[in-house]
Amino acid sequence: MAAVCWSRVRGEDCVRVTGPRVGAEVRVRPRLTDVVGEMPSMAGEVIRDGGDVCFVPRFGFVDGMSYAITVDGVDAGVLSRPRPSRRATTDVVEIRPSARRVPRNLLRVYVRFSAPMSEGYAARHVRLLDDTGGVLTGALFPTEQELWDGDRVRLTVLLDPARIKRGLAPHREAGYPLRPGEAFRVVVDEGFRDAGGAALRAAAERRYDVGDDERRRVDPTAWALHTPRRGTVAPLGVGFGRPLDHGLLARCLTVTGPEGQGVDGRAETGPEERSWRFTPRSPWAPGVHRLVVDPVLEDVAGNSVRRVIDRDLTRVEDDPAEPGRDVSLSWPA
Amino acid sequence: MSEYGLRVGTPGVRAAGPITFGPAGILFLADNVTAKVFALDVGDAGPAAGAEPFDLDNVDARLASLLGCAPDDVAIRDLAVHPTSHNVYLSVQRGHGDAGVPVLVRIDLLDGSLSDVDLRDVPMAEVTIADAPAWEDERLDTTLPQGDEGEELKVGERTIRILRRPIRTSTVTDMAYVDGYLLVAGLSNEEFSSKLRRIPFPFGDGLVDNNLEIFHVSHGQWETAAPIRAFVPYDAGRSVLATYACTPVVHFPLTGLTSGTKTVGRTVAELGAMNQPLDMVAFTQAGQEHLLIANSNHGLVKIACSDIDVQEPLTEPRGPIGVPRETEDLRGVTRLANLNGSHVLALQAEGGHQHLRSLKTASL
Repeated sequence: MAAVCWSRVRGEDCVRVTGPRVGAEVRVRPRLTDVVGEMPSMAGEVIRDGGDVCFVPRFGFVDGMSYAITVDGVDAGVLSRPRPSRRATTDVVEIRPSARRVPRNLLRVYVRFSAPMSEGYAARHVRLLDDTGGVLTGALFPTEQELWDGDRVRLTVLLDPARIKRGLAPHREAGYPLRPGEAFRVVVDEGFRDAGGAALRAAAERRYDVGDDERRRVDPTAWALHTPRRGTVAPLGVGFGRPLDHGLLARCLTVTGPEGQGVDGRAETGPEERSWRFTPRSPWAPGVHRLVVDPVLEDVAGNSVRRVIDRDLTRVEDDPAEPGRDVSLSWPA
Repeated sequence: MSEYGLRVGTPGVRAAGPITFGPAGILFLADNVTAKVFALDVGDAGPAAGAEPFDLDNVDARLASLLGCAPDDVAIRDLAVHPTSHNVYLSVQRGHGDAGVPVLVRIDLLDGSLSDVDLRDVPMAEVTIADAPAWEDERLDTTLPQGDEGEELKVGERTIRILRRPIRTSTVTDMAYVDGYLLVAGLSNEEFSSKLRRIPFPFGDGLVDNNLEIFHVSHGQWETAAPIRAFVPYDAGRSVLATYACTPVVHFPLTGLTSGTKTVGRTVAELGAMNQPLDMVAFTQAGQEHLLIANSNHGLVKIACSDIDVQEPLTEPRGPIGVPRETEDLRGVTRLANLNGSHVLALQAEGGHQHLRSLKTASL
């Protein structure tokens, strides 16, 4: 009778079988509770180590799982991996928009965590709730593919665009996910797992009032520009007149100098994403400067510099701007 | 495989995403973490298969057993069928977070056995699909940090210190190969738009990424763009039928469109409220091309392509909702692929597990 134990071989975790016959067939299977029938054996390599046989899995053993080992088709034992307790260390850092009031046709919410996160938890652990704690059913866009930034710390949550955009069957049948005058909360519960598999230290939420629709193009020519004097390091200030998308603001605004070169400096988004401030590293040079706006810049309802999200073809003011061209504002006049 | 620019190497895949087969049995695999598409020779020289059905119960449990984990740790991201052997390929993510491992699993058509495809030292090529600005993009200068924040980078002659800011990513939702082009649809984590990329294959060095921006009009009044959820090449690759995050089925041409083109597609059907289209496949029934669409909230929807061809763009807000369609009473289907001329292969969730089921095209 062969004996089995956890061990190491060639620097890797393995199941060690002591005393098998030469050429014995060793198979390892995870113990799955609710399935019947013959399941495939685990992918891996069988290595002879002296008189023992070691099974090294191609994909590592999982904490908390039990594995059944057979030798020549005969049960040789069950081994369990310990389940380490993971201390919660990760928090929700912010939920955007930061505005207190959002339009009824709000399209996008960002959740930023303090550490990289695991995929596969967003659908179950991010919800919209009304003030009585009821879930706004069908409010969020159920993507199979979660939308993360490259570092897996910022999650993009979309409200169901089919219910927001006018004219579509879901919009007519189910209506907007949000109602003007009825507050709601974006809730991230502590069950969301970080990249190490630990839960969050605490749930997080942000409450919003709901206002009227926002269905105008983002119009840089209507922005309030607070221009600095040359020779100073005073900031350039820009007021948008409405909240813009926090994610896009980080990359859609650029300042260029008299020769068209990029100006070094620090950009900050103002309260409620209604304004933006750029402080140069060196004093402003003489000559014409420009604030260059990438026309993909959107507001919180998905209206961009180029287009209204659901353009009404009968309204001249909804006509799109010139496609693909940057828009720029210059100073001094 | 050298005629397709494939060189032996080990693809640095970090996440399993959509898969589709191209020429000569080359598999395209999208990785939404590294923002790359890999072209892989999967070395499948199995015999040419016939027209028999293929069914396999409890695929998720079988995968868990093969991969040594719980079924909850198995995410089946996509399904593809090899063009000649008809072996079934699954793009699978095993585990979450730091413990997550992408795995390509082959299911042998003859005996139903599962094996992971070894991706070490295989003929391969790759292309980057990120929208992220290049490091040398001068716009990055605006976020040069103060003090010691950020990281040092060498750009040409200059060494600069850069504070990484949130990088937008484009998540691939579906892919298809047509006549020397890989078509890639995606969903951005920031801007809301509809882009279809045409990436020439072989990938080559002088890659020209060919972006089409597609709009659709709802009921003659509202023009909008939305990310494409799933699509199939249509009319011998001359056009595409796409389903959207906001549920219409839209037809648009591919021929004559050049990079940066905006095109307005023809909305031919809507699939209803509180429902998401998940996947679609084209198949032939009695010599006629049809479309089968898997949905999150109702059964499979079947549409005759001849109806699509004659469907006027939808214009009446309260009128018909497009082409005639039949709903098959088969729920829980999340993925579809052509198995052979006689069967469509469906991945179906039922009874707490996932199963591969063959649907006879003549009976659909």
